[in-house]
Amino acid sequence: MTARPPVLHLASEPAPEPCRPLLEAPVRFADDHLGVLHVRDHLDEHRAAFGRRPRLSADEVLGLLDATALTGRGGGHFPVARKWRTTRDAVRATGRTAVVVANAGEGEPASAKDAALLVARPHLVLDGLATAAETVGAGDVVVWTHGDAHELHRVLAGALAERRAAGLVEPSVRLVSGPGRYLSGEASAVVRALSGGPALPEFRRRPAAVEGVRGRPTVVNNVETLARVGLLARSGATGATGAGTSLLTVLAARRRTVVEVPATALLADAARAGGWHGAPPQAVLLGGYGGSWVPWSEAAGLRVDEVALREAGLSLGAGVLALLPAGACGLAETARVSAYLAASSARQCGPCVFGLPAISGVVEALVRGDARKADLRRLQRFAGEVSGRGACHHPDGAVRMTLSALRTFAGDVERHRRRRPCAGVDHPPVLPVPVTP
Amino acid sequence: MSARLGVDPVACEGVGMCAHLAPELVRLDSWGYPILTARELDGRDERRAGQAVTGCPRRALFLDRRG
Repeated sequence: MTARPPVLHLASEPAPEPCRPLLEAPVRFADDHLGVLHVRDHLDEHRAAFGRRPRLSADEVLGLLDATALTGRGGGHFPVARKWRTTRDAVRATGRTAVVVANAGEGEPASAKDAALLVARPHLVLDGLATAAETVGAGDVVVWTHGDAHELHRVLAGALAERRAAGLVEPSVRLVSGPGRYLSGEASAVVRALSGGPALPEFRRRPAAVEGVRGRPTVVNNVETLARVGLLARSGATGATGAGTSLLTVLAARRRTVVEVPATALLADAARAGGWHGAPPQAVLLGGYGGSWVPWSEAAGLRVDEVALREAGLSLGAGVLALLPAGACGLAETARVSAYLAASSARQCGPCVFGLPAISGVVEALVRGDARKADLRRLQRFAGEVSGRGACHHPDGAVRMTLSALRTFAGDVERHRRRRPCAGVDHPPVLPVPVTP
Repeated sequence: MSARLGVDPVACEGVGMCAHLAPELVRLDSWGYPILTARELDGRDERRAGQAVTGCPRRALFLDRRG
């Protein structure tokens, strides 16, 4: 076991933000198995590298969150300070303690960044969780994982046992598992499951931050967000605020690689870091399966910076960069993903239950060469009727992904519609699609 | 005091009573689920909306009042 300093820079340079505070090197996944990862910070290594977790007042923590404008990395990019203040205020107003949840339920099939982070730096995540719990005034602290993520469960249980054995002064943490479905990591599904219900999204008239698990103010934060809080709380000592980089999962040639890149990097840099070599891809699916297809000619020069991407109408979402090689058919990929998203519906809200299969059916017909212009007009109407009408954002993402494919692969749409041969039809599938029940 | 019409999409089963009771405030989508007017309701609207709310057999509709 060797101690790894978190700050890597030459002594002669002015102390910059360390370029990779969370991951020392890209993490490559051979398949869906996490067993390739042996690296993991034990508590003694963690403390040697980062020092002890400083205990800051709630106002100090919120001030640091304000100063760095840290946003949630589960996909929504909501300002962390605003969420935590809402909960802290609700705790003060109601006199009930809060529930704080570290969300490790990574349902996005192409994403592996939360798993990579948890295996590499479990204690940084748990430090951030403790800081979150102290800041908002929590009486119940939970780590939520998918029930089929056995490796993660083992890593987290081990890390929590180490902390108890070391007698750390912090709130005790419950490790809770839910089903491994696409939507069971959705924040309202986590709140509902922790309230004793099924792990399915629910409609909330008041935000969970005010009225969540069994009516208590509830904060649900993605684990990467919490790791960044763990760094941020130490920024006085290390200079690393943890807000300057992003964890991304790059899907290149059917392999997922998790990389950590600064906000100044371009998407092209991230693709290279993630193992893309040779001829440029034709397009990227940015954000995840509910994200947007972008032609590579437009995407390559964009910065890995949520603020800049929002200005271009895009988002890093859950941090997925799925690269489509020149020989593949973007519409065939879209048809597979949109069928998967339709099958992953929680089957609760009508527009999602009926609309997503209807949309996916048109895309499949288009790929077969069976779609007419009227079908494409129908698809546009369905898209307008589905978006924004679920209890969660699942249907919105499915619609966004499909509409972005029609724009990005407009030439292919015409070719398929006129039944001209598509060079990519026999290309092996690029995007991983789990089997749905 | 203004009010808006809201729906819990999980509770809604697309019965469509709301569109019968308040057709000027509710239309149905391709599958029979309600699309609600986004506008703030005036006094007459609010009476209609109230009828739709009480007439919903799934108790999925509600009036969102803000001061």
